[in-house]
Amino acid sequence: MASDDDTNLLVIVVDVNPIWWGQQAQREPQFTLSKCLDAVMVMGNSHMAMTRTNKLAVIASHCQDSHFLYPSKNWKGGDGSGDDASSSGDGKYELLSVANNLIAEEIREVMSKSKGNSTDTMLAGSLAKALCSADDCALQYMNFMNVIFAAQKQSVLIDACVLDSDSGLLQQACDITGGLYLKIPQKVALAQYLLWVFLPDSEQRSQLVLPPPVHVDYRAACFCHRNLIEIGYVCSVCLSIFCNFSPICTTCETAFKIQLPTMVKAKKKKLKPMS
Amino acid sequence: MDEEPERAKRWEGGYERTWEVLKEDESGSLKATVEEILFQSKRKRVIESHGQVRLGMMRHLYVVIDCSRSMEDQDLKPNRLTSTLKLMEAFVEEYFDQNPISQVGIIMTKNKRAEKLTDLAGNPKKHITALQKAVDSVCVGEPSLYNSLSLAVQTLKHMPGHTSREILIILSSLTTCDPANIYELIKTLKSLKVRVSVIGLSAEVRVCTVLTRETGGSYHVILDESHFKELLMLHVKPPPSSSASECSLIRMGFPQHTIASLSDQDAKPSFTPSVSCGPGLSLGGYFCPQCHAKYTELPVECKVCGLTLVSAPHLARSFHHLFPLDAFTEIPEEEHHGDRFCQACQGELKDKSVFMCPSCHSVFCVECDLFIHDSLHCCPCCIHNQSGP
Repeated sequence: MASDDDTNLLVIVVDVNPIWWGQQAQREPQFTLSKCLDAVMVMGNSHMAMTRTNKLAVIASHCQDSHFLYPSKNWKGGDGSGDDASSSGDGKYELLSVANNLIAEEIREVMSKSKGNSTDTMLAGSLAKALCSADDCALQYMNFMNVIFAAQKQSVLIDACVLDSDSGLLQQACDITGGLYLKIPQKVALAQYLLWVFLPDSEQRSQLVLPPPVHVDYRAACFCHRNLIEIGYVCSVCLSIFCNFSPICTTCETAFKIQLPTMVKAKKKKLKPMS
Repeated sequence: MDEEPERAKRWEGGYERTWEVLKEDESGSLKATVEEILFQSKRKRVIESHGQVRLGMMRHLYVVIDCSRSMEDQDLKPNRLTSTLKLMEAFVEEYFDQNPISQVGIIMTKNKRAEKLTDLAGNPKKHITALQKAVDSVCVGEPSLYNSLSLAVQTLKHMPGHTSREILIILSSLTTCDPANIYELIKTLKSLKVRVSVIGLSAEVRVCTVLTRETGGSYHVILDESHFKELLMLHVKPPPSSSASECSLIRMGFPQHTIASLSDQDAKPSFTPSVSCGPGLSLGGYFCPQCHAKYTELPVECKVCGLTLVSAPHLARSFHHLFPLDAFTEIPEEEHHGDRFCQACQGELKDKSVFMCPSCHSVFCVECDLFIHDSLHCCPCCIHNQSGP
């Protein structure tokens, strides 16, 4: 049982890339963004209902920006004594109804304002924002790794619930921080997976039988061809990885000393005089 | 010997009027001054960005700990030796966190001799266990600077040229007992490009001043335990490498982690004893890509073929040293007319100054600024402005 002064903060980052969700709505009409958000709200509500001191934050991340859905900047105070329009009349815990309404409002705003048609998502930015309060794109790799190491130092677990394709970066994040990585076989059962696997906190997880850890590929990708390599050459100055030996590093432009085999001096043999 | 101008000692200067720092406001309260002092102490760690200076990423560091009779002095609680060993454990962890591909070795000196506690290794657990066991050791006799330096140099001189060779000495005694002329040894150290730094626990000693000045290291004497910790942590950051150090391409392996099943006929015992399931056999491990020897932990140097084995996140940990984040500009709160909310944590800005990132102009509060520069190393809002491919 958690003690009274033990606050658990749960931050849920939802990828709301409009391109992917649009395609998804055409592929499987029974699982759309609104159903996914319903499942997320169920998980958020359960987390807040478990202990009074639990806190929640929800961030939506899409191609150009990440946006805090909850708590919102425009909403002051967490005591639920807001205006009457947000209180529901069915006896639900105030905080939960406020949260649900806020999330619905903010997501409407985010979706109507988003522009652009790339299929990436600014995951590093959302995670960075998530840490400040509690796809493998090459440009984001460095920032992503910085965020993961900061999380590991702060003992923050990162869990990943993947709907579509496996992500090597997220697998590494979960492995390094000690969280769980799960690719969901059936998307319509999202709420059940969220509640069963991801809701318990780290102390309770040791007592549950959860999905086994996946095999994480920690091989590095070479800077010249972006292939995964098992043996490579690392520049001692800038730590860039190459698959072949080259005399000049392309990143920092230092010329390397080539290791020549050492010359062995020929030993002079003393001729024995023939007697 | 005295060609270098010595900097003026503190007692040679005038009086410092430290009481003038505290100023009272109209009602006689010191609250504003106290808040100012707290605010300054939060920002105490000055972020020096080295800019385009080349840093030594692969470091070989020997730490020499004095175990002479003076270490039993109780001015650091409970005694100097226990306090030093505890701080060393924190140092070793932080060191491997910031320099994952570097190595550390520990030498103890007492009774006019020096002996190695641990050899140069890249695994923090070994060092921490050795440090914990060394708490019971007896402090006797005098330290020997010459013996400990020559013991360290015996290993360091064989290290390849592209790595940095460093020695950190924690000296508490005011004397040293050397079998030969230490100034000759200092000349040798300089020619081998070994950088020696000293942290003194008692007072400044002339031979240490000369040693650190000639080899290019730093010499500090501690004031109290928290100052000791600060000085130790200064040595965690990679130092600027000297221009004479060679740069080369190092061949490294990136092994995969495989987990064999219980019924697997090929499950081999691994070289390094696994901590979790006892010495001997372990089910999973990393296989060297060149000779298929099995290891349980990384980074490690393969004992069979000599290939350095690392994983990609180990190299990624060092990237923030190569691309340091610029310091944010400090703006007093009155001049800031934008949002009243910190862009990172969404909390209200209530400190007396806010911090603005010079590239994306988003504002952050004091705590987020500290966190971003110490742990995160990237501005959360600049990430969004990087356009995808």
